[in-house]
Amino acid sequence: AIRITTRVKRGSVARKYRKNILDFASGFRGAHSRLFRTATQQKQKALTRAYVDRKNKKRTLRRLWIARINAVARRYGSTHSGLIHDFYKNRVLLNCKILAQVATLDAYSFLKIIEEVNEKKS
Amino acid sequence: MRLGRLASTIAIHIRGKDLPTYTPSVDMGAFVIVVNAEKIAVTGKKRYQKLYRRHSGRPGGMKVETFDQLQQRIPERIVEHAVRGMLPKGRLGRRLFTKLKVYKGPEHPHAAQKPVPLPISDKRIMLDK
Repeated sequence: AIRITTRVKRGSVARKYRKNILDFASGFRGAHSRLFRTATQQKQKALTRAYVDRKNKKRTLRRLWIARINAVARRYGSTHSGLIHDFYKNRVLLNCKILAQVATLDAYSFLKIIEEVNEKKS
Repeated sequence: MRLGRLASTIAIHIRGKDLPTYTPSVDMGAFVIVVNAEKIAVTGKKRYQKLYRRHSGRPGGMKVETFDQLQQRIPERIVEHAVRGMLPKGRLGRRLFTKLKVYKGPEHPHAAQKPVPLPISDKRIMLDK
């Protein structure tokens, strides 16, 4: 076998590779945005955490919504669990937790919803 | 007024959990002023048996006091200790703790903030009364 090894200069390939990673790590604190080797590690961590947290975000937001619905519910004499139970029983299925936004921004409408459900109960 | 029940409602208001704009990462609760702190009560034999411990950091530096003794010495600390245990621990929790103002006796220096009486919706407290 004859190996033909032509001369290859490495050129700026390495620089581009490092620049790519350092650009990702811009805004990180201290050496994490300046030094290539630490930045590589931090980039890896950041991506991993982003993946996990995209899944966690769904959970944490739901927790927040539930806490807010609970706050409004307790102000008017019931609890979050009681309200949700009544909603399900009376087929008020419109209420995805994101309608805790309603409770936060438009308290009047939220009260109307609760009143309607109370009427349907009785 | 019982210690734990009072502390629990205080902590809820300081943390802002009674508001529909509740945000756990932000300090958006209310300030709470407690007066007549020396009148706080506990049931059973806790008055003479509940212990408050603190440690000075040095070996053999554990100091123990009963509820009774602490109430005579520094009654504000009893309420503060109870509420602190019910607030979140951490930087935000420490900041929230500074929103609690406890005073012995019926006077407090915050009349300029026009405080309103705390709305108590805890059934156990309502039943007590």
